[in-house]
Amino acid sequence: MASEKALDCLRRRLCDSSFVYSAFKSTPAGNYSKLKFLISNTITEACNNSVLLLGPRGCGKGAVVDMILEELKDEFPEIISVVRLNGLLHSDDNFAVKEIARQLCMEHKLLFSKMASSDDNSQFMIDMLRECGLAHKMIIFVLEEFDLFTQGKQRLLYSLLDAMQTLTSQSVVIGISCRLDADQLLEKRVRSRFSHRKLLFTPLSTEDMQRLLEHLLYLPKNLSLPSKYVKEFNSNVNNILGDKKFKEILDVLSSVDNTISNICRFLYHAISWMHFESGSLTLDGFKNALSCMQRQPMLDKLQGASVLEFYILVCMNRLGSREQNSFNFNSIMKEYKAIQDAYKTSDNYSWSVCLRAFEHLIERELISFLDNRMRSLSIEYRPVRLLLSSQELHQGLKSNSFCPAILLKLLNHESYR
Amino acid sequence: MKAVKQALHVATVPSSVVCREVEQKKVIEFCKACIEQEKAGSIYVCGCPGTGKTLSINKVKEQLLSWSKEVGLQPLESLALNCTSLTNTSEIFSKILEKLNSSKKRKGRLTPLQHLQDLFCQRSSSNSGMMLLIIIDEMDYLITKDRAVLHDLFMLTTFPFSRFILIGIANAIDLADRFLQRLKSLNCEPFVVTFCAYSKDQIVEILQQRLMKVAAASGDMRKVLDACRTAIEVLETELRDSSTKEQPNSVTFDHMDVALSKAFKSPKVDIIKSLPQHQQIILCSMVKLFRGSKKNATTIGELNKSYLETCKTVHVPAVGSLEFTEMCRVLSDQGLIKLGQSKQDRLKRVTLQIDILDISFAFKDIRFFKNCLEDY
Repeated sequence: MASEKALDCLRRRLCDSSFVYSAFKSTPAGNYSKLKFLISNTITEACNNSVLLLGPRGCGKGAVVDMILEELKDEFPEIISVVRLNGLLHSDDNFAVKEIARQLCMEHKLLFSKMASSDDNSQFMIDMLRECGLAHKMIIFVLEEFDLFTQGKQRLLYSLLDAMQTLTSQSVVIGISCRLDADQLLEKRVRSRFSHRKLLFTPLSTEDMQRLLEHLLYLPKNLSLPSKYVKEFNSNVNNILGDKKFKEILDVLSSVDNTISNICRFLYHAISWMHFESGSLTLDGFKNALSCMQRQPMLDKLQGASVLEFYILVCMNRLGSREQNSFNFNSIMKEYKAIQDAYKTSDNYSWSVCLRAFEHLIERELISFLDNRMRSLSIEYRPVRLLLSSQELHQGLKSNSFCPAILLKLLNHESYR
Repeated sequence: MKAVKQALHVATVPSSVVCREVEQKKVIEFCKACIEQEKAGSIYVCGCPGTGKTLSINKVKEQLLSWSKEVGLQPLESLALNCTSLTNTSEIFSKILEKLNSSKKRKGRLTPLQHLQDLFCQRSSSNSGMMLLIIIDEMDYLITKDRAVLHDLFMLTTFPFSRFILIGIANAIDLADRFLQRLKSLNCEPFVVTFCAYSKDQIVEILQQRLMKVAAASGDMRKVLDACRTAIEVLETELRDSSTKEQPNSVTFDHMDVALSKAFKSPKVDIIKSLPQHQQIILCSMVKLFRGSKKNATTIGELNKSYLETCKTVHVPAVGSLEFTEMCRVLSDQGLIKLGQSKQDRLKRVTLQIDILDISFAFKDIRFFKNCLEDY
């Protein structure tokens, strides 16, 4: 079916990071072009360079580096070898040097000895750099989670950058970090040897966002789908993208997290709401996707609670706002009785019924015991705490239509003065 | 353009090192005296990074080697060590021993240091007359709590039959005073040569020697050279971008300006401005919490309360607690705040890592946040 194929195509696209970020290949002032120019220049001029890519998680740093390395490997075959290190795995200097030696051996088809000491490995690295420099081959070091390499004495960074200062080596050091002040973490010696090139990955502007959405959602014409279907689909998507309500949805989404990976997750949700019979996307689908992304699990839990359970929760909230740090079922019942005496509502239940409601709340994890060690005490005496905030309780009460108004009044009176 | 960039590259060693003639002369004179009198000596070279220490000392080494050959004295050996590559500070002694005694077998009982001390206490026939020049780079890595290694190293020069000249290179100007007081009492202080930061004139001279005129930002030569290369790259991108009407073919001050601002400006204010709205609101609520009191730490629960109040005042619907915690984590990843550890999310400590003034400065043009920040 056409809609299945279309859905398949869209899903595959959204999961492929190189497709997603290829939307920005053509901007001349973009980070992709700058980095590519830098690296290819370094290759043609046979010199050394270092650069930092900085930006929040999910903004495409790793994807851009991968794309560029793929393309450069095609453009300059046999000249480039890549060594990848990650700060989470290789922040210890000995491990890092061993890993560098291992990867260099793999790339150049040499035998790697596990018995080699750290000195041997670093000497090997320096020798490789020199040899590759003489043979006009380029080694590219990609250091992910760069800020984690700056812990400790920064020996690895120092030796790497120092080795690059000799003229016979040709290498590029690309540091990727989500800490925007990563270069301030470098020691003065290392910072002096590091070139101050930084590429900041800033969030998308509205035009870039529009371009990305079109890039991801428009079906291509060369798929084996009837062209009438493709045209209808694309014009439908165009209408949705231009709709004011869609722009509001997008604003709400990006006011929390405006990285590209978040947008992709949102689109993945949205296309799963595709209307199968007509095979087109709908605005409602995007709205549902937004509510899927911004779930409030505590409010979902409150959906099925009974009135008595709400009473208990409100009592706990009142006790908490009176700065009473620990309370148990007995104190809650005292509060409950006080309310019943004051307001004479019809919801006056006996002790055993209330205890059952209390146990329900514990099972549903809306409240919990303060510590699990006092299991020997019976349930009425163990201290409990509320796992909801006043805000969430307030919202839960408002959304439940059968809740008596008195509960809201009780809550309002205490918490909101 | 390529030749220019090549000449300006940090790794290009110039044929003669300008602006360091005085320092080099001092070192050479001292070494020549030591060699002629067949005595041991120690020199301590200090200065900020990028002031040409390693470069000058390497030149000195070459000059001394050729001088000793010319004058017909005994051959001069040299050993260069970089202390960042040592796993253990006392490894330095085994490296020196290796150089001196490459053929002999080492006795198992003695440590390398004791071996060296032994060697220098007795006149040995095989090594007589041979002078060894030891250059130790990045010597501050040898500083340990009890400074034993540094002391022992410099003390080796006091032994009657030691024949080496020790040149230590480091950044600390008062290393000798702070760490080697005992040496002063023993009257074997090292000869100190300080490499000051380059003055503007010196930098100009060096660059003129290397091609072109530029305005210097700091005494660090590497920074200047990198800034020059970046300026050339800016010029290159301009030339590539054919939309500009005039084609400049030399670097102007505008190019330098762009290059220097890229290298030196702290991007914190830009980062804050580019955050999504709710994360900016979180930063504002932190400012509100800490305004007036000296503390700069709170818990996620307190921050959430402040955040909810702020959202109410600016009429923006607040996000749920899950997303709030997620946004705090993103802010801590970027180094703007720091999250502590705790079993419960609400009790995790939150510390502000940037200046409150930076945040106020970033938001001063935006009316939305000005109301936030001024509202007590």
